[in-house]
Amino acid sequence: MTHEPMHKVIRLKRYEQPPEGYFEDFLREFHHRQRAELLKPSLGTLIAERLSYYFSELRVPTMAFATAAVVALLASVAILRNPVQSDAPRNIAASYDQVPVTIPKMQPVSLRLDTPTASPSLFAPATMMLRSRPASHESPISF
Amino acid sequence: MISETETPINNDHELVTRTQGGDPTAFDELVVKYSPRLYGLIYHMTSNHEDTNDLLQDVFSKAYRSIRNFRGNSSFYTWLHSIAVNMTINFLKKRNRRQHPSLNDPDSNIENDPDFIAATSNGTGDPTKQVSINELQKKLNMAMMKLSHDHRIVVTMFDIQGMPHAEIAKILKVSEGTVRSRLFYAHRQLQNSLHEFKKK
Repeated sequence: MTHEPMHKVIRLKRYEQPPEGYFEDFLREFHHRQRAELLKPSLGTLIAERLSYYFSELRVPTMAFATAAVVALLASVAILRNPVQSDAPRNIAASYDQVPVTIPKMQPVSLRLDTPTASPSLFAPATMMLRSRPASHESPISF
Repeated sequence: MISETETPINNDHELVTRTQGGDPTAFDELVVKYSPRLYGLIYHMTSNHEDTNDLLQDVFSKAYRSIRNFRGNSSFYTWLHSIAVNMTINFLKKRNRRQHPSLNDPDSNIENDPDFIAATSNGTGDPTKQVSINELQKKLNMAMMKLSHDHRIVVTMFDIQGMPHAEIAKILKVSEGTVRSRLFYAHRQLQNSLHEFKKK
């Protein structure tokens, strides 16, 4: 499938040209625009001007900002040159003298509330007895 | 002035070096050399003379500001055209469809162009069926505006400006195959839009 006829028709658009003398004027306009851009202050210049005006209104001694800037610079240099030595992990556990508690043998216990049957008295205190029987052997309803 | 289809002579290296060295007159020479070609590129993309003028100014301003960073990895011609294409496509994305076309009058030489005669007489030779220049221009413009930006740019560079596929591929940073494919689909779409100018 050839598109040659279409190519020929669309090529006719090349006859659409700007008004005569346009390109001569274009260079002049370009120079004018370049000069205008040079005169137009950049965003950075505008910000700097605003900041300087703002700080001039504060009536701070002239050298204060310079001194503050120098101090800040020196401080940052000092911090950067002497970073915190944190390479070796600190052994916090070793600093304690206390011996760790170890339980040699543990047995599961069950907590049982036993009421003495020999002297049933309302005023007698209930005794708590720890029984060395595994909790798993207890029936769910053991009270 | 370079014509639309003339291939620019690559003697730009010296002018670029002089501009980089701080000689603004060297850049003026580059502006004079490339403004007609770039005007055509932008104009056929935007279909608006005023937008083209503003964009062309912006393109050369940007090129002037960036020329110190130009390392010569590609030719200046390719580099400058890439700037123009990117800025034009960004502009078109923002503008979308809100602006009416502002077309330049076609050069009077169009009337002597055999392709124009063939296209406007519909191949019948009947003068009553002739299409006026303005009507043809309007139809061509409408057909171009229907194309996507990617398709319109390849049609502009290949069909109107006569650039080779390889040069277009370099400027658009795509393969030659992609250029050919985009041209194929763009031509097919143009044929549908301009069916009355189709050769039987």
